[in-house]
Amino acid sequence: MKILVCISQVPDTSTKVVLKDNSTTIENAGVSYIINPYDEWYALIRAIELKESGIASDVDLVTVGKANTEPVIRKALALGGDKAIRIDAESTDPYLTAVYIAEYAKSMDYDLILCGKESIDYNNGSVGSMLAELLDMDYIGFATEIKIEGNTAVVKREIEGGEETDSCKFPLVISCQKGVAEARIANMRGIMAARTRPLTVITPTVDDALTSILSYELPPAKAGVRLIDPADMDELVELLHAEAKVI
Amino acid sequence: MNDIETVKALKGGEFLIRETAADSVFIPEEWNEEQQMIAETCVNFLAQHVKPNLNRIDEQEEGLMSHLMDEAGALGLLGVSVPEEYGGFGKDFKTSMLVTEKLGAGNSFSVAFSAHSGIGTLPILYYGNDAQKQKYIPKLASGELKGAYCLTEPSSGSDANSGKARARLSEDGTHYLITGQKMWITNAGFADVFTVFAKIDDDENLSAFIVEKDFEGITLNAEEHKMGIKGSSTRQVFFNDCKVPVENLLSDRQNGFKIAVNILNIGRMKLGGGTVGASKEVISQAVHYANEREQFGRAISKYGAIKYKLAQQAILTYASESAVYRASQNMEEATEMLVASGLDETNAKLKGTEQFAIEAAIIKVHSSETLDYVVDEGVQIYGGMGYSAEAPMDRAYRDSRINRIFEGTNEINRMLTVDMMLKRALKGDLDLMGPAQKVAGELMSIPDFGAAEEGNLFGKEKKYIANFKKAILMVAGGAVQKLMAQLGKEQEVLMNLADMLIELYVSESLQLRVEKLVSMRGEDSCKEQLDIMRVYINDAAEKIAKAGKEALNYFAEGDEKKMMLMGLKRYTKTEDINSTQARRNIAAKLIAENKYCF
Amino acid sequence: MSVIVFVEHDAGTIKKKNFEAVHYASGIAQKMGTTVTAVILGIVDNAEIEKLGAYGAQKVLHVEDSRLGELHPRAYTSALLTAIEKEGGKIIITLNDINGRAVAPRVAAKLKAGLVVGALTYPDMDKGFVIKKAVYSGKAFAYVNITSDKKVIMLMPNTFPITETTGKTVIEKLVVDFSGKDFGIKVNEVSKVTGEVSLSDASLVVSGGRGMKGRENWYLIEDLAKELGAATACSRPVSDADWRPHHEHVGQTGGTIRPDLYIAVGISGAIQHLAGVNGSKTIVVINKDPEAPFFKAANYGVVGDAMEVLPRLTEAVKKFKQHK
Repeated sequence: MKILVCISQVPDTSTKVVLKDNSTTIENAGVSYIINPYDEWYALIRAIELKESGIASDVDLVTVGKANTEPVIRKALALGGDKAIRIDAESTDPYLTAVYIAEYAKSMDYDLILCGKESIDYNNGSVGSMLAELLDMDYIGFATEIKIEGNTAVVKREIEGGEETDSCKFPLVISCQKGVAEARIANMRGIMAARTRPLTVITPTVDDALTSILSYELPPAKAGVRLIDPADMDELVELLHAEAKVI
Repeated sequence: MNDIETVKALKGGEFLIRETAADSVFIPEEWNEEQQMIAETCVNFLAQHVKPNLNRIDEQEEGLMSHLMDEAGALGLLGVSVPEEYGGFGKDFKTSMLVTEKLGAGNSFSVAFSAHSGIGTLPILYYGNDAQKQKYIPKLASGELKGAYCLTEPSSGSDANSGKARARLSEDGTHYLITGQKMWITNAGFADVFTVFAKIDDDENLSAFIVEKDFEGITLNAEEHKMGIKGSSTRQVFFNDCKVPVENLLSDRQNGFKIAVNILNIGRMKLGGGTVGASKEVISQAVHYANEREQFGRAISKYGAIKYKLAQQAILTYASESAVYRASQNMEEATEMLVASGLDETNAKLKGTEQFAIEAAIIKVHSSETLDYVVDEGVQIYGGMGYSAEAPMDRAYRDSRINRIFEGTNEINRMLTVDMMLKRALKGDLDLMGPAQKVAGELMSIPDFGAAEEGNLFGKEKKYIANFKKAILMVAGGAVQKLMAQLGKEQEVLMNLADMLIELYVSESLQLRVEKLVSMRGEDSCKEQLDIMRVYINDAAEKIAKAGKEALNYFAEGDEKKMMLMGLKRYTKTEDINSTQARRNIAAKLIAENKYCF
Repeated sequence: MSVIVFVEHDAGTIKKKNFEAVHYASGIAQKMGTTVTAVILGIVDNAEIEKLGAYGAQKVLHVEDSRLGELHPRAYTSALLTAIEKEGGKIIITLNDINGRAVAPRVAAKLKAGLVVGALTYPDMDKGFVIKKAVYSGKAFAYVNITSDKKVIMLMPNTFPITETTGKTVIEKLVVDFSGKDFGIKVNEVSKVTGEVSLSDASLVVSGGRGMKGRENWYLIEDLAKELGAATACSRPVSDADWRPHHEHVGQTGGTIRPDLYIAVGISGAIQHLAGVNGSKTIVVINKDPEAPFFKAANYGVVGDAMEVLPRLTEAVKKFKQHK
């Protein structure tokens, strides 16, 4: 069984967003980058677990990004995975990202493609589903548990107000969230092996983006907190009713 | 400065008489991708396993520390610099120093970690025969066995060779029977393997033994109640005719004291790394708090008094770190050269380490006193919350204090610094006489008021540092001449000289680091580092002047004293700088980044 | 050319957020001078479907196939594509929710339509087709221009207030030629938590952090939530410590919510947590540490011990409701 894990590079969660160039770009100086947590903690680690338990034969990683994403790719390789593929393009539009990955994956016979439920920078959560369409595969989103039984994935996933268990034959795409696996820390063995694991760069067939970001905006500052006497919760309730109009 | 030779590979102690080229020093800004990943693993390990459990650790919850060591072992962190043939990862000394630094932010855990991977593992790794290494090292590197080191006794601390523990051969000649009492034994509560020092019969010197916890005749006292590092297991260990197989004698009979001293040298340098890591963590917390805490309507980080503290914390830490990694690299290079000259790796490591024993002592003192400053001001920045056990400063403050005491008190280390320097001069390993005479000659001649090299960004600081060397050579030369054999007993003078040497070594390490950094990144991206360097070296000049003056006022007399005081003034003269503005600049960067960021 | 809106339902009941999607589609249709066609899948009574008229759907295409009661992304996609083709639709609206995310990106990829996930505004057509959405989990907003001819917009629920009109709708049955592949996923088991308000739908949320000190104190959060009719949530350390189930974790690496009222108890307000909740209309912070950064993001703050403040607040809400 062959698994492809889609990973993306995102700014560290502690990043404060600073805008520049007349608010048309987000400042990247001084920003440290990490693997998108959903991709790393859940999708990648689950794939590695499946390999460790002998269920998966291959775990490959793919990302769409320029050369500056390579440190993050090698960090992923330090956690595990046999090889990585970097598709040499800027990842700006979810459709393009999906098209590029699909172009690579279509001839590779992956049984399972895993990704995080969304990236924490653009919060689109759409690449996995698009990829399934482009590769003519099934898709299960928001998974919280993935088990493999023969050529079938048995997946617990979040639904509104609960969860359901689905099963689906390979090949399919699954987007992962908390529950699928436990985050791991790269160990010395993995870190040293990361250097020896192949990282292949491929150039995609250029396609047109369907969207573009014109500008950014920061949330307005809050007007300032109104402190309420902890002994007088009636006042708080009254304010929530009469002033904020939320109850 | 043509009287001071620039060399590429510096020998231990030579910093006093030679110049070092900036491109030859290692600076932490050069960590490669793999080393950065290892550092990240350490940070993640602390964040996930240690930080959330600091209270439980300090309460010595049964089995917790041992479990944390297992977790660290599973990640490979206990075997970073253990050779691959013994189940480690064969990384260089600098990398293991990086691990020590990053885990140094882990309070009591970092003590357990350092004790295990340093004094708990290294005696066997460096002095064990192959059978001993095969038997113990892979398991120590994986954490399956935990190590401890039994040297100190109730009546012998700093004077280690005076221990009362005795070993005698059993009648059938198969075992040594060790009897004695060992005190302040870190990790004793859960250790499986102890390196125990005892004299065999009436030997003059100690021998070392590998003792397993399950050998007969070992009992442990209850946990000590300590001021800090409360989570670290510290107990007395009693040996009562403890049966140790003869094959567990480590190295040769009477070689124990040498082992102890050499292991301590490494331990001192590692303590430097660990305390630098702890300092960085405390600074990050202090900056964060200063940015959050508001008084009179503004974050307290906006006030100059707080900015001064934050900047000073960072200045000292950055300076200390420069010395730690410079010396680590030097030690490593010395080892490599010895290996290249045909020495086996183990002996090369020991000789290389021994050579940098002076630097190790300097680093131990400077970094532990830096951490004490950092935590003290950390408490102050936190104000009332600094005194509350709910905020992190309380623990940091208490945990810091031991660093000035263990691995040789700072007083012992100061005396060693001077003592080793003079011994090397006497043995002819280090030519202090020539340069000292030159300085004496210079004192008689017309002073050189020449300006610093024009157009060199570091011209001034280089000149100051060259002058610091002259100041030390002059005062030390005078002290040796005047006090002669008595010098060893004039501890105040030794302390003065040590302080001068410490400030010189750290100033020079810092200057070289910033020079190399500027050559890598350009002047514009190193503004704060340049400020750090200028402020530190200016302050160092004053400290050197003060220590020198105290020494001269004690032992020199008459015209000679006058002349030397004049010389001292000349050699510690610096141009005025606007240190307030410089500190503000440094603080501004810390405040903007909301963490230690240099 | 009408605007197509995908309407979900919960076992035959259409929820408020789906009316909001129709209302949003209607706003766009009016700007463009066209009509709204809603698409609804599975078994739903006509009386329920007719409600869509009041929110601006002139026509509803109903694919009455019992298999569609479960989420089958490919089948849903086929159904939507059939409807889009039939209506000549170029603008497709869904919600940014679990089902929306399984279907809308597929439709967009198939149509080569530009996609905006989590729209917060109507498209600004003066500058192209520009829609505002949150990025970095709410730390910033982006103005995204869709440059393709066809467009898919996933609306962020609870963004627009809705009002009923007297509008009526026409229901048409739509027959879709499903293939075997469309039902490749087998649903084995469904378990729904009953009696609790679902977090993603909730307009009121009570959330607890490390300051609650332990799971044994959670009844205080639950009592208040029950009194308010609110959902419960928690911060990351709480879910990491398994005090609460992980689906309650809100923040940059958990769920992002935008309720009308978010009451944060014992949560310090790390940047990662704020990112997940700062779209909330009103934020109340209860924390005993007056320096907690969350106060800077709050509308109302109570500096006090949660163990004492929470019972008082619950009591005050009870009193308020009795008098109302």
